[in-house]
Amino acid sequence: MLTALSRLLVILMTVNSFILRIGRFVAWVSLALMVLVILLQVVFRYIFNNALPWPDEAARFLMLWMTGLIAPSAYRWGGFVAIDMVPMALPKRVGLALMLVLLLLSAAVLFVAIGFGWNHTMGFGGNFDSSSLKIPLDLIGLESIKVKLRYMYMSLLVGVTLLLVINVELVIRTILELLDPEISLPGDDQVIVAGAD
Amino acid sequence: MLVWFLPVFLVALMIGLPVFFALLVSPGMLLWLNGQERDMALLYRNVYNGMDSFPLMALPFFMLAGELMNRGGITTRLVEFSQALMGHLRGGLAHVNILSSILFAGLSGSAVADTSALGSTLIPAMEKNGYTRKFAAAVTAASSVIGPIIPPSGIMIIYAYVMGESVAALFLAGIVPGIMVGVGLMLVVRLMADKYDLPKAERIVSKNQELTQLEHWVSFVLLRLNFAGVLLGVYAGIGAAVQYSSGADIAVNNWILMAVFLVIAHFVLMAIRPRVSADFRVVCKKAVAPLQAPIIILGGILVGVFTPTEASAVAVAYALLISFFVLRSMKLSDLPSIFTKSALGSSTVLLLVGAAVAFKTVVSLSHAPEQLAGFILNLSDDPLILLFLINLLLFIVGMFLDAGPAIIILGPILGPIFVELGVHPVHFAIIMSVNLTVGLATPPMGLVLFVASSVSGEKVETISKAILPFLAVEVLVIFLITYVPAISMTVPRLTGFVQ
Repeated sequence: MLTALSRLLVILMTVNSFILRIGRFVAWVSLALMVLVILLQVVFRYIFNNALPWPDEAARFLMLWMTGLIAPSAYRWGGFVAIDMVPMALPKRVGLALMLVLLLLSAAVLFVAIGFGWNHTMGFGGNFDSSSLKIPLDLIGLESIKVKLRYMYMSLLVGVTLLLVINVELVIRTILELLDPEISLPGDDQVIVAGAD
Repeated sequence: MLVWFLPVFLVALMIGLPVFFALLVSPGMLLWLNGQERDMALLYRNVYNGMDSFPLMALPFFMLAGELMNRGGITTRLVEFSQALMGHLRGGLAHVNILSSILFAGLSGSAVADTSALGSTLIPAMEKNGYTRKFAAAVTAASSVIGPIIPPSGIMIIYAYVMGESVAALFLAGIVPGIMVGVGLMLVVRLMADKYDLPKAERIVSKNQELTQLEHWVSFVLLRLNFAGVLLGVYAGIGAAVQYSSGADIAVNNWILMAVFLVIAHFVLMAIRPRVSADFRVVCKKAVAPLQAPIIILGGILVGVFTPTEASAVAVAYALLISFFVLRSMKLSDLPSIFTKSALGSSTVLLLVGAAVAFKTVVSLSHAPEQLAGFILNLSDDPLILLFLINLLLFIVGMFLDAGPAIIILGPILGPIFVELGVHPVHFAIIMSVNLTVGLATPPMGLVLFVASSVSGEKVETISKAILPFLAVEVLVIFLITYVPAISMTVPRLTGFVQ
């Protein structure tokens, strides 16, 4: 049972590490694009006196995807702020049991959120066109296609889904530690800690 | 039934549930028990809508700008500049630490960034100079809280967004309180310097530094432009006052005036030149380009050229420009890790803000704020006493929780009550921001203490003891800010951002 769980954890972590690395890559590129898009808007508004319609929405689009794709990495690395005095102060076993309860509670939140996220994304509202974002196919002689709001909504759905996957990983980790306190678990290859305060 | 969500929330928070989940689980659970499935969908939607915001974008951008400046070697320049100004005093490097924090605060909006950037250069330098390591770490941690008080400021962007205030007004209101914290800390160092005979330091660390041709001209032009700009501002101010009192129209073409002031600035600077050593001049010139960033940010917002979000993007562009072309201290291969770190740091805050907006809707659906307000108003109806009590509460919360999450949670609950009592929203925002920011450096759970500990290798407990005298002054400043609204309100009033 223990070995089966550890093996499952290793597989899950390998898959997650791969997905998260892609997520981080897309996220930092999105951040760079956000800067470019806003600067473009500044140039057009103040130098050419001719504000473009799309940069504000495009930048928000990028920011939402940045968040959805990189927040799971932060969650895995303990970047979600919590007051962890109580779990730390308890005896190790009890602390781990409490951690497990907290993780299951978080999992419940994420699970419910995925349901609502699915309705939000696939439902009626997602069908509307974005007010300013379109794929400019007219540049190559075709008709341009408006971007559906769905593709913006999807960012949070993807975010909570990835968070749940990470949550499962953390749950297995905690169960393993509970069953065998001396166990040595695989670590992540790289950890970046960042705070905003 | 819904009234229970606050106690549930607090319990969830205290036992260690991450704030993001606690903000969602408590209202969500109660709505579910109430059978209000539809409102739960609203909860989710509001998380999304809360994050989907243009003003909020300033947060990742300012983080990015601060990170870029730090990696681009700007920190060392600021420290050398501060040392050239204050190093010769007794307790010199402690003063330098505080002054660097004030200057760094104009570039970054985060106390953590401040501690790790200044700590890694200044703590070893102070140790070599004869300070104890715990003292060095304590000064660094205590002064780093100036970072989010002086603009730009991450937590003020969050507060402004969650509470619907103007970011610009909060930024301007933070300037004087931030400087006051700095001056207060310097006074403590001054007193300690007498008592413990703290050492002096050299004013110039590395002599005969070279300045590239480009940097020479950049600082040459920027110095004169800023000087002339200040003169122009003073002139415009006096002109407006004269016009107001006498009705005489003394308007002169601004371009002509600027040209005249540029010439004056040039001659004044040339007159100062022989009075200072060549090394001092080089150190100052090296600080000109970095220190232009806060001027661009604040100036742009003040004049109304940029929104705060645009100003933050311009700050990123400026940081990239000088790191790559003027200082030439950054490589393209450094960029991915810098961008990733900023994205990572801001993503958790953005999610928190989204959750807070969702939480806020349920707060207003329930009658919790009215009941809480009733409870608070029952304690006393004197705003002065209530402000004292609220500062106490905020200070205790700050001991356990980081500033950003604390503002997200408490702002929507406490803000309206005090605005009702006649406290100006901007004033209350500053009280809250300064108090919770100081909380970043208070034991047992001060974020900045942990960073200072990891940078210096000193234990958190040891730093916690050494930081107490500095915290005492910061508490004093909090009360000054609380009871003298003019400290925070004068600058935004004069500039017309607050009526």
